[in-house]
Amino acid sequence: MAHTDAHSSRLGRLLRGIALTAVVVFFLFPIVWIVMMSFQTNEQILRIPPRLVFEPTLINYKALISGKLVTAAGSLDLPFMRNLGNSVLLSAVSVLVSLVLGVPAAYAFARFRFRLGENIAFTLLSFRFAPPLLVLLPLSLYFQDLGLANTYTGLIWVYQLICLPLILWIVRGYFEDASPDVEHAYRVDGHSWWRAFTRIAIPLAGPGIAAAGLLAFIFAWNNFVFALILASADKQPVTVGALAFVTASGIQYGQIAAAIVLSILPTLALALYAQRWLVEGLSLGAVKG
Amino acid sequence: MSDIAHPVAAVRVHATGPRSARLLPYVLSLPALLVCIGILVPFGTAAWYSLQRYNLAMPFTRGFIGLDTYLDFLSDPDFWNTVQVSAIYTAATVILELLLGLGIALLLRQSTRLNNAISVALLMPLMTAPAIAALMWKLMTNPGFGVLSWLVARGLGVSDFKWASDPRTSMLTVVLVDIWVYTPFMMILLLAGLRSLPTQPFEAARLDGVPGRFVFFRITLPMLMPYIVTATLFRLLDSIQQFDIVYAMTQGGPGDSLMVFQVRAYLEFFQYTNVGRSAALMMILWAITYALSNVFVKQWLKLRERAHGAH
Amino acid sequence: MTRETKGERPVHEKPRDLFDAFVAGRVGRRELLRRTAALGLGATAATTLLNAAQTRALAADYNWKAHQGTALKLLLNKHPYADAMIADIETFKNLTGMSVTWDIFPEDVYFDKVTAALSSRSSEYDAFMTGAYQTWQYGPAGWLVDLNEYIKGKSAPNYDWDGVLEGLRASTAWSGKPGDALGGPGAKQWCVPWGFELNNISYNQRIFEKVGVHVPKNLPDMLEVAAKITKDAGGPYGIGVRGSRSWATIHPGFLSGYTNYGGRDFEMQGGKLKAAMNSPQSKEFTKLWVKMIQDSGPKNWATYTWYQVGTDLGAGASGMIYDADILGYFMNGGDNKERGHLAYAAFAANPKESTPTANVWIWSLAMSNFSTKKDAAWDFIQWATGTDHDLFGARKMDFVKPVRTKVWEDPEFKQKIGSYPGYLQQYTETAPKAKIYFTPQPLFFNLTTDWAAALQRMVAKEVPVDEGLDKLAENINRQLKGAGLG
Repeated sequence: MAHTDAHSSRLGRLLRGIALTAVVVFFLFPIVWIVMMSFQTNEQILRIPPRLVFEPTLINYKALISGKLVTAAGSLDLPFMRNLGNSVLLSAVSVLVSLVLGVPAAYAFARFRFRLGENIAFTLLSFRFAPPLLVLLPLSLYFQDLGLANTYTGLIWVYQLICLPLILWIVRGYFEDASPDVEHAYRVDGHSWWRAFTRIAIPLAGPGIAAAGLLAFIFAWNNFVFALILASADKQPVTVGALAFVTASGIQYGQIAAAIVLSILPTLALALYAQRWLVEGLSLGAVKG
Repeated sequence: MSDIAHPVAAVRVHATGPRSARLLPYVLSLPALLVCIGILVPFGTAAWYSLQRYNLAMPFTRGFIGLDTYLDFLSDPDFWNTVQVSAIYTAATVILELLLGLGIALLLRQSTRLNNAISVALLMPLMTAPAIAALMWKLMTNPGFGVLSWLVARGLGVSDFKWASDPRTSMLTVVLVDIWVYTPFMMILLLAGLRSLPTQPFEAARLDGVPGRFVFFRITLPMLMPYIVTATLFRLLDSIQQFDIVYAMTQGGPGDSLMVFQVRAYLEFFQYTNVGRSAALMMILWAITYALSNVFVKQWLKLRERAHGAH
Repeated sequence: MTRETKGERPVHEKPRDLFDAFVAGRVGRRELLRRTAALGLGATAATTLLNAAQTRALAADYNWKAHQGTALKLLLNKHPYADAMIADIETFKNLTGMSVTWDIFPEDVYFDKVTAALSSRSSEYDAFMTGAYQTWQYGPAGWLVDLNEYIKGKSAPNYDWDGVLEGLRASTAWSGKPGDALGGPGAKQWCVPWGFELNNISYNQRIFEKVGVHVPKNLPDMLEVAAKITKDAGGPYGIGVRGSRSWATIHPGFLSGYTNYGGRDFEMQGGKLKAAMNSPQSKEFTKLWVKMIQDSGPKNWATYTWYQVGTDLGAGASGMIYDADILGYFMNGGDNKERGHLAYAAFAANPKESTPTANVWIWSLAMSNFSTKKDAAWDFIQWATGTDHDLFGARKMDFVKPVRTKVWEDPEFKQKIGSYPGYLQQYTETAPKAKIYFTPQPLFFNLTTDWAAALQRMVAKEVPVDEGLDKLAENINRQLKGAGLG
């Protein structure tokens, strides 16, 4: 559409600008508000009516980062940074494992027609249909027997339910979009199948792999229930950790807001990085017919 | 499963030739399958639980009852309410997010610096875990401290809007939160799809002076369809299994106005310790999602062929 | 650490003053931490200092070292009571030579974690925090140890089980037979009471003075007072009560007032349970309750949990709450805007009754049946629920609703809570009839959650009260029949 005349007209540009502004306001206003709350004390946040102007404070971030200062005893730690570390570990390793397993499989489904191929592909997707709660209870029993309860390995395995189907299906689409002719030409040149896969196919599907990896990372990051049920307190991600500010003696909204900001940052950094790559990948002329 | 297994893709090659080459696709795809196959065991166990009278708090009444739990659901108005609420929730979120996501993707289609910055910024709602984001939404819609309540009261003059607390507006409120969280997901998938479309047809259309609307409905949309189907499928699977937002905002209330499948199953298990009923609800949900995705995947495969045929 | 001893040991003068100031509420927690740190007194050191004498006294006639070297693991809820215990844990370690670790989970997800851990038969946790209602599931499920034999046969001579409020001891014991009275014959002690909550009024004196209202004497009076606050206070609404779709909406103020009006949850008919939510008493009370929320409750009532009810009181958004007294207590300190303005009063909802019938929530300690160190776990439970630790928590920490009469008689504790007007008095007036007024049965959580959903419908005017209660009773009777209980 961007290439049509309607859109280069002044009216079109104006409408576009208005629409984009509305979109940005709707999606980012709550984020801005959360960021603002993260620089306020609870007392400032809980004012009637809410105010736009306030005196910023860093106490929420200090409390989260130093892991102290919140509760009565002082000997009590606030394991938020540990939660953050757990989230990074669980999400990053899960996505890496999913990529290692999922990208070759996606390639196979896209390039080869083989017996049971679609069945296997659908089965893999179907792991996404099983409501997580359905498998959790029996899984927690089996985890006890297998010694996987309360281990990172066990969690990363379960996280494949979130990451793998997503990566597999998105990447498959991208492989199918990339014409196999380039690979054939490369192989005719005398290169092995493996080199064609790693040097040609994967780079061509780069944007898809980046987008799928990023989305899988976000979904893994946002998961809540797996670690809660299957692991002890020292392996909990930020999603569970942030709930610690909901205490019997009050909800610490400022700290929750700061926790959200801190927990967005790693993902945001990754998104910015992947975005650059995504744009580069898209500029590859070969994909475009 | 088998009825979707025979696509004819022009670009695919039959794995023929030496044995090692024939085995290659299996070697590539089986590790992924093996890692997931372990889940089938607990899945089977859960299916078995659903055929039992099994409340953890009443161990002496445990026993095999076949399909009784399922049959009871048929005459249970609460169950049908859950079906209805889930259907409305899923339809509303998926359709609205698709339209909105597509619209935003079109706005951001050109790869300019600003557009790229905006597209990343718009991902931020997706990065706030729904379980935690819902806490913030609850605060923002609080009648006293909530900035949104304040804006609605000041800006729109509606002082008595009760958001998630009123059965008439609770669905609207959680759908709004869902849209806020998940539209970026649609947007980014569709944007990636849009930008990977070949430029030739658009160039040709421009040279021929084809009107914009025609280009959109006859070229953009059909070529984008596989992406739309993929994005919709994933949103559909997530939305029909919605839990975090609804549970954190209202626990399924007020009344039963937001009692979606997963919330009900969660309550049945974690609060009521009724394993049998919880498992049966989940099996039904699984069957529904399975059927829906089967339809979608078939459609997806068909569209792929058509898209490639057009090359 | 009383004022009389000041000056005897000048070295400790400053820390002592500081603790006194903390206890009197003049110094906040953060301030206390900052200043103890400034004095070179880490929290652990301070604790040890406070408890050196305690340890010696406890060790007298019981072999606390029997399980030396054993490692215990606890599952705890993030709660001031748990904080108080952790602050004193060095005393236990020194006393027994055991090591103790714990997993703390946020309250929002705590019981889900307990259910998950116990239903998977995990042997990871030896003892854990629970409420009494939860034991109606956990006990019959076979996940808990009946603590009777430990209390009677294996406890230290000075454990003083009878020093725990009688209503609470009974409320945490049940035979497991649906409908049997709590604490009746054949009852198993599924858990040991630790700290509890009474449901009474906490109110904002500033707002009450501004509007010119008195503390409500009964429910009709409460409706009037709340309406006047909503009308005249210039923003704040009259009364905060919980309203989320959860059993937690039913058990605090609602059930306390309901019981006062003569309402019961169930009747026993020939050994079977029958719903009593549509009795005339229930209808009379529920009509008033629903009207009160419609007229003067929070606008977002149907999403209100403990947290929102408390937050509003602390921030001056509500005039009063009819909920847990400790919730009102917490809101009078910390960084709450209305700190120092709150006061407390006992409440008998029924104009014809003078004594409150407060339903209670009891934070208790229970022992996991899957623990491989049960005797050691018992030593922990009896220490944590013993008089000495309770005194520590009550005096120095926010263990503000102890279950032992002796602690309530402690002058230092009395002095500490004395600065909160009416807090001690509402306890003394309410304690005699404070207990769990629910009928114990394994469907507790289903049926009370349905009850809350029915209230939500009535408040939203989707159904009139009479009809709503009849439907509720019908629905509950059907569920009871289905489970073989009705």
